[in-house]
Amino acid sequence: MNLNSEFNIENIKNISVEEKKFRQNSLSLFKEKGFPNKRLEEWKFTDLGKIINENFKELNFNNVEKNNENIELIKDFEHNSIVLINGFLKSKNFKYENKENIKISEYKNSKKNNKDESINSLIDLNNAFFGGGYFLEISRDYKFCKPLVVYNYFSNNLKNTIINNKNSIVLNENSNLDLIEFNLDISSSNFIHNNHTNIIISKNASLKNYTIQGCKSNCFYYKFVKSKLDKKSNYEDYIFLSGLKFSRTEEDIDIDGENANCIVQSALYLDLENHQEVKTKLNHLKPNCKSYQKIKNVLNKKSKSAYQGKIFVKDIAQKTDAYQLSRALLLDDSSEFNAKPELEIYADDVKCSHGSTSGSINEDSIYYMMTRGISKKKAIELLTKAFLFEIADSISNVEIKNFVEKNIDRQIYGY
Amino acid sequence: MLEIKELITKVNEKSILNGVNLNIKAGEVHAIMGPNGSGKSTLANVLSGKNGYQISGSIKFNGEDLTEVSIEERAQKGIFLAFQYPLEIPGVNTNNFLKTSLNTVRKARGEKELDTLTFLKLVKEKSSELGIDEKFLSRQLNVGFSGGEKKKNEILQMKLLEPKLSVLDETDSGLDIDALRIVADGVNSSKTKNNAFLIITHYQRLLDYIKPDFVHVLSKGRIVKTGNSELGEELEKSGYANLQ
Repeated sequence: MNLNSEFNIENIKNISVEEKKFRQNSLSLFKEKGFPNKRLEEWKFTDLGKIINENFKELNFNNVEKNNENIELIKDFEHNSIVLINGFLKSKNFKYENKENIKISEYKNSKKNNKDESINSLIDLNNAFFGGGYFLEISRDYKFCKPLVVYNYFSNNLKNTIINNKNSIVLNENSNLDLIEFNLDISSSNFIHNNHTNIIISKNASLKNYTIQGCKSNCFYYKFVKSKLDKKSNYEDYIFLSGLKFSRTEEDIDIDGENANCIVQSALYLDLENHQEVKTKLNHLKPNCKSYQKIKNVLNKKSKSAYQGKIFVKDIAQKTDAYQLSRALLLDDSSEFNAKPELEIYADDVKCSHGSTSGSINEDSIYYMMTRGISKKKAIELLTKAFLFEIADSISNVEIKNFVEKNIDRQIYGY
Repeated sequence: MLEIKELITKVNEKSILNGVNLNIKAGEVHAIMGPNGSGKSTLANVLSGKNGYQISGSIKFNGEDLTEVSIEERAQKGIFLAFQYPLEIPGVNTNNFLKTSLNTVRKARGEKELDTLTFLKLVKEKSSELGIDEKFLSRQLNVGFSGGEKKKNEILQMKLLEPKLSVLDETDSGLDIDALRIVADGVNSSKTKNNAFLIITHYQRLLDYIKPDFVHVLSKGRIVKTGNSELGEELEKSGYANLQ
């Protein structure tokens, strides 16, 4: 794989000297490390460098801006929307809300970001070349009336392109938002989406974040989310990315205020050599906080999945209640699931538990269903759906729950 | 309707059925009794098409050889097995399961599939006949059901699917007297001149409520005695030991 000659900071227009320096520095960090491989503990199940080499002859970094794409909006429920095309903010519609309380703009670099530590080489790469993305801020006490759907749309001319963008979401005190990131693309060729998102949830605020892949895609998706939760805040993150060729979602969450609550849940159906993983790091930094993680994967046809979940409990974070479970259902012998739970606990009065199971589908259940006239294929579908719907069922917003279930259904029965 | 000839069944070279012959005609109720390990449940499983058995001899259903017919096709053709231990299937909604099952069978019979409303009306009617609380139907299939509720759910499925041949594998085990009566009423009210029942049981108890036309005694993989309903009563008094 060659890096295209346009892979050059000089080609990025309108940036300050300081930002240029930051980007150049990030680029040299990336060049030093290259794409992650299995030698790194955090990537022990995945050689991304190899995957990139196998799927990309070269990589183009020019940011493909495009307007006027016809995007089919979700009709299942009323919602506000913002549309990003190839990573760039193109339109916004907050018709159900009091607009005064919402700040939305294209993501701009701030000095603070220039001091971002080097988290990993993909973030370095993002820091060097990011363009587009959005900044969203909700005022104090404002509660959204309807969900916000972020349409992440990718056009068809993205062969060998890597899109790097950043989002930033700030919920001020006592505010509330249901956010759905809905990925859609019409690209027939491979491309990479490398996203870095920062989330701040202030005191008493609540964010429910659903990431949903809306179609089968040749996208290689990497998302790194850094979140910070203040006192009594609530963060719920749901990952439904089936359909992607490759995905890795990383959540690094600082639970940094007392009585905060954090939920990370994922339901993935992997087919035909798909590779998807979830990596979490939940940092319990203050006492009396709760976290809950449940990851469920169904794997079929040489697909591969991994879950690395770390719970860190700081010495002062007494009365922490942290739960973690991953379950995999393997439909054939050619698929692989890896789980690596980690607990790092420095407080002595905490409740932390973790578990992981993987197994094949229950033959007796299939037999039972078949004696009722149901074919083996249909029985497996019903059991698979039942397995994944458990996650969807925990979504309190019924409209979103139904939409997610419809989406999972489509993934299992084919697009 | 069902013709079994010289049925021999082995599991891992261990022989379980050693030449069973059985004829069941439409409109008849047959009971099979026998001690533990005599092969009763194996016979039920083999009829359903369960994998894992080496089989020789012949099983014909309405003249058609069943040997090569898959489990789901047997069900679609009208063979129903009420399980001794109905499976709990977490996550699968009972109503959804019943509807999928019924519509698959209806489709195979060339009948119109039922829409949700018609289905719900039908299932409500059938379940109230069996004294099944409607709430159960919106729960996960058999999960957290008591033994009696699971057995009633089997009979509910039987009533919905209207099979030609129903095989009831120890449906009476684990039932209290009231539930036993309800289950028996469920069977009796389903009886027509076009369908047949094969009731597998250890005890005469169930046969007090469902009067069989024939009682067969299965012992060591063979039918050693056949008689009318009085045979069951006799066995209840004398036990199986005298037969062997």
